[in-house]
Amino acid sequence: MLGNTIQGRFYQAGSTAVQDAKLHKNGDIWQLVLGTESKLLTVEIESVSDRLAGIAHKIILKDIGVFESSDNDGIDAMLETENSFFSRLTRVESSLPLVFVFAVLSVVILVSLYRFGIPALANGAAKVTPSSVLTLMDASSMQVVDRVFFSKSELPEKRRDEIRVLFDELIEQSGPQKLPFRLLFRDGGELGANAIALPGGTVIITDQLIKLSKSDDEISGVLGHEIGHGELRHSLRQIYRVLGIGFMISVIGGDSGQLVEDVVAQAVALGNLSYTRNFEIESDHRSAELMVGMGRDPFAFIELLKRMKKEKDDKNDKKETNWYSTHPSTFDRMANVKKFVDSLSPR
Amino acid sequence: MKLHKFKFTGNAKEYFGIWIVNLFLSIITLGIYTAWAKVRRVRYFYGHTFIDGHNLEYHAKPKSILIGRIIVLGILIIMNFLVSITPLAGVLVIPYLLALPWVINQAMRFNARVTSYRNVRFNFKGTYWQALKIFFLIPLGAILGFGLVIAVLESLFGESLKSLSGLQAVISIIIYLIVLLVSAALFVSYMSKLTSNYIGNNLSFGSADFRTDAKLKPLVANYAFSLLFFVVIVAVFALAGFIAGSMFEITKLLESTQLGNTIPIGNEAYVSAIFGAFIAIYIGMFLGFLFYNAGVRNIAYRATLLDGQHQLQSSISQLQYVWIMVSNLFVTVFTIGLMRPWAAIRTWRYLADNTALLAKNDLGNIVDESTPEGAAASAEFLDIEGFDFGL
Repeated sequence: MLGNTIQGRFYQAGSTAVQDAKLHKNGDIWQLVLGTESKLLTVEIESVSDRLAGIAHKIILKDIGVFESSDNDGIDAMLETENSFFSRLTRVESSLPLVFVFAVLSVVILVSLYRFGIPALANGAAKVTPSSVLTLMDASSMQVVDRVFFSKSELPEKRRDEIRVLFDELIEQSGPQKLPFRLLFRDGGELGANAIALPGGTVIITDQLIKLSKSDDEISGVLGHEIGHGELRHSLRQIYRVLGIGFMISVIGGDSGQLVEDVVAQAVALGNLSYTRNFEIESDHRSAELMVGMGRDPFAFIELLKRMKKEKDDKNDKKETNWYSTHPSTFDRMANVKKFVDSLSPR
Repeated sequence: MKLHKFKFTGNAKEYFGIWIVNLFLSIITLGIYTAWAKVRRVRYFYGHTFIDGHNLEYHAKPKSILIGRIIVLGILIIMNFLVSITPLAGVLVIPYLLALPWVINQAMRFNARVTSYRNVRFNFKGTYWQALKIFFLIPLGAILGFGLVIAVLESLFGESLKSLSGLQAVISIIIYLIVLLVSAALFVSYMSKLTSNYIGNNLSFGSADFRTDAKLKPLVANYAFSLLFFVVIVAVFALAGFIAGSMFEITKLLESTQLGNTIPIGNEAYVSAIFGAFIAIYIGMFLGFLFYNAGVRNIAYRATLLDGQHQLQSSISQLQYVWIMVSNLFVTVFTIGLMRPWAAIRTWRYLADNTALLAKNDLGNIVDESTPEGAAASAEFLDIEGFDFGL
């Protein structure tokens, strides 16, 4: 009989009143004994709380209240719930070797998700995003950047047409396009000499950059670089990747505390910088590929970049840093593009 | 009168197992399991928290949490998408702000109703208008009032500050700063009073109501101490910066004498001190915020009565609390998160150990007043948006 009785406490429904009690199992019938009384009360079990380490089971008895007992094994045995999901889970949670395995697995999965899984998902998502949505995004971004950074281009129409020809030549060279590429001219204002690619195929080039250039090859190379960003969907991949990491953090950070979350966010921002530099290298290669295909000088744009950099450094009086800058240093780029162009030429 | 201290019986080793299995299952189910993980986590903390030999229980259903999370995620995705395709979507911030008081109420109601003690549920009865007033209208009014104070100060002292010299200018600056600090202190403390009272007065346990009457005076004092704490932190960092800068300058000086060159010696020490102070302002605001909140918890709890007779108590040492949070952060980060369970247990235990209920008589005569739980979506919204009432 002993195996069929559990000691515990009974909370009467509807108030905080409590008393000691016993729960008996008699065949298929459950009986409750209150305090030291000898009366057996037949009860019906409505539900039982899920098993969790060290926490007393609560058995809800239909209509009359709750029976609570910390004899969790006894309850599992009597209810035959030893193999329910949460009872198994509780055993897993308290097994040192299994916990160790899960800890190692979690770290391995998280690191590989961060390194490979999320970028791969982001690339996939970027590929299937319809270009009509991107066009809308471009239009919206243009409203913002026009208000914040740019003003109307002062470049003569004739010069603009010449550059448009360069741009069209590049588009032609790059083959069939999924994105509606278009070229816009703006006065760079605070940004000075610069070229920007938006996710939907909009390429902006500033008057200052054109003035700084010494040849068409230089401008063509920069435009090729920006077209590369568009074709390879770099900004979109970056947007999806940041979203993915944000989602990952919210999944793992359910109980991380505010301070920890802030620190993680800063670390992720730093990690982004080195990640986007790979995009620059990819775009450099694409530019070189296009330039070689058109018989133009694939290195010319790096000279222009050097001049851009120098102008900026003179203005800001800052030294070039490798870690914080989103673009690789011009020296690295030159070597990189050289290597790439060498690999293009037939041996 | 009987003092019932809150007792926490959980331990880091046990919780680590729960935490890591939660994490693993959450990852491989792409986040779906997080709803079950949350219930398991909160149940562990509640279930190991005892008052007078009985524990708290968390009854939320994972499915309602999951649905809540999906709704919130959906809304966030749609909002962000709209904002990225047209800047005009920024006007959505207005319905967002107007919905916020409702969301806060729903979340507090959900969290209260899924919590029980001795088989009796908690409840929260705050109304939309009260919440709108406290979380929206009064802060808005106070910010406008604050702007007015600054404008008045500008017009009174702005001109004379430029033309005055010596003692008069110093006195003007001091008056300016004092008025500014005092009005900020009053505003922040008053808001804390309103929020604490709003939460306390709308919370109930079964048929018994909580009553909170936080007084302005201790809250203002708490603000003053927090400000002092902030100033000390900034000063310490500035000093550290100054020392680091001086060292740098001394090495430079030594180098220049060794080389026989005359490198001009700048004021690196001062630059570095100012740099240190700037970092410290950021850190100091964070720590000052923790320090301040711990003080508010003490004041609000001590001003709270259950059923008109049982007195809540809170005796957190603010310095120790800040220390626990900061050391937790370092331990967590340096163990790539693996010590987070230990840190969470440590915080919870500290809070429980410093909380008590001074009961006038037996707690066994409070009647239940069960009501449906309401939607989990808003509780999840606050979860994602980072609100934490630190109950």
